[in-house]
Amino acid sequence: MIRVQQASFDAGEEQRQLLAGRTDIGAVVSFTGLVRDFNESPDVTALTLEHYPGMTEAALGEIVSEAESRWPLQGARVIHRVGRLAPGDPIVLVVVASAHRRAAFEACDFIMDYLKTRAPFWKKEHSITGDYWVAERESDHRDANRWESDNDEIP
Amino acid sequence: MSLTHLNQRGEAHMVDVADKRETRREAVASGHVVMRRETLALLSEGGLPKGDVLATARIAGIQAAKRTHELIPLCHALPLSKVAVDFHLDTDNSRVEVTATCRLNGRTGVEMEALTAVSVACLTLYDMCKAVDKEMVIGAIQVDAKRGGKSGDYQRHPDAAAAPIVTGEGAAGQVSVGSRCDIDSPCVRVKFLAELRERLGISDLAVPLDSLPSTDVGSLKSALAKRDTRLSKLTEGRVLCAVNQVMAHDATPITNDDEVAFFPPVTGG
Repeated sequence: MIRVQQASFDAGEEQRQLLAGRTDIGAVVSFTGLVRDFNESPDVTALTLEHYPGMTEAALGEIVSEAESRWPLQGARVIHRVGRLAPGDPIVLVVVASAHRRAAFEACDFIMDYLKTRAPFWKKEHSITGDYWVAERESDHRDANRWESDNDEIP
Repeated sequence: MSLTHLNQRGEAHMVDVADKRETRREAVASGHVVMRRETLALLSEGGLPKGDVLATARIAGIQAAKRTHELIPLCHALPLSKVAVDFHLDTDNSRVEVTATCRLNGRTGVEMEALTAVSVACLTLYDMCKAVDKEMVIGAIQVDAKRGGKSGDYQRHPDAAAAPIVTGEGAAGQVSVGSRCDIDSPCVRVKFLAELRERLGISDLAVPLDSLPSTDVGSLKSALAKRDTRLSKLTEGRVLCAVNQVMAHDATPITNDDEVAFFPPVTGG
């Protein structure tokens, strides 16, 4: 399930719902991303997230489908918030369930790496010295490239 | 904080900058001329009696920047390394936006030069158009950004109302879906998202398909760059594109009523 919303979310409640009535799931991995009070500037006071409605949901859906094709998953839930957020607020939630832990860990990691480099979200940070758009990070692309088959031989 | 152009007795004096270190200085200023819609249309079609308005105003702005010290009493004469004056025809607000960038390696800031360039470019626009429109208003001349020097970098705080994060009528943090093309004239709907929208000052455009040499993204980009100098940014740096919300590249074909979005690299998560 994919949701893009302004409202906050409760990671525990989302995980409970994903697991409700299931006894075949052996492992569930949950990742929550939070707004930091330091990033490109030391005093981030707020963050505004913009997205491209329509394409965002489609892109997230494709990423989850890709994860499902690579690992035997028994459930996945992705929630990404948009709008204005304050330091400490949760931004993104990825919950992945599988029979075994390795698949759940890896799929969760994969979904976050692909989300950061492929889903149309843009962050603008508000700090006491001004507002600026967050720049893309080379490390995010390196992280995402780890999952490309061409890089399999690289340790 | 004190006024540097007044000495201890409160008299005007020129600040001695001989001991200041040379640094790279840059300033960006902007302003606008509000005019009637018909005047703006004439201006964009080149139908005004005095000829090419923007080219003339650009030269006037550049010349003015170089002569700032002759106009403003306590300004130093500066060997500017760059003066650029750009125009954006804002049809929504029926005005011409003027932006000037000045740069040099030196000991004083160049914001007065940028402001002078904008002011004189606006005055020249007025002069070139006044035969058809006497009601024009010159306004909002201001320093947008300043870099280098002891007092550090300065960036004007975007006014919350003037620079909304939200385009059109979408909810916070969203962009709205653009209006549809007119059935009679095939066109593509172009959107600019996030930082790109703010840098360009444009969120939505409709581009007639018959204005393109070939119907693909690359051709659309070069047509846009020709139409508005600001849009040349589309061919610089990393700008991503989606056609009908699917990632696209320069060779991707486009057709009537397609939605083409340009945006910077994504930074979610």
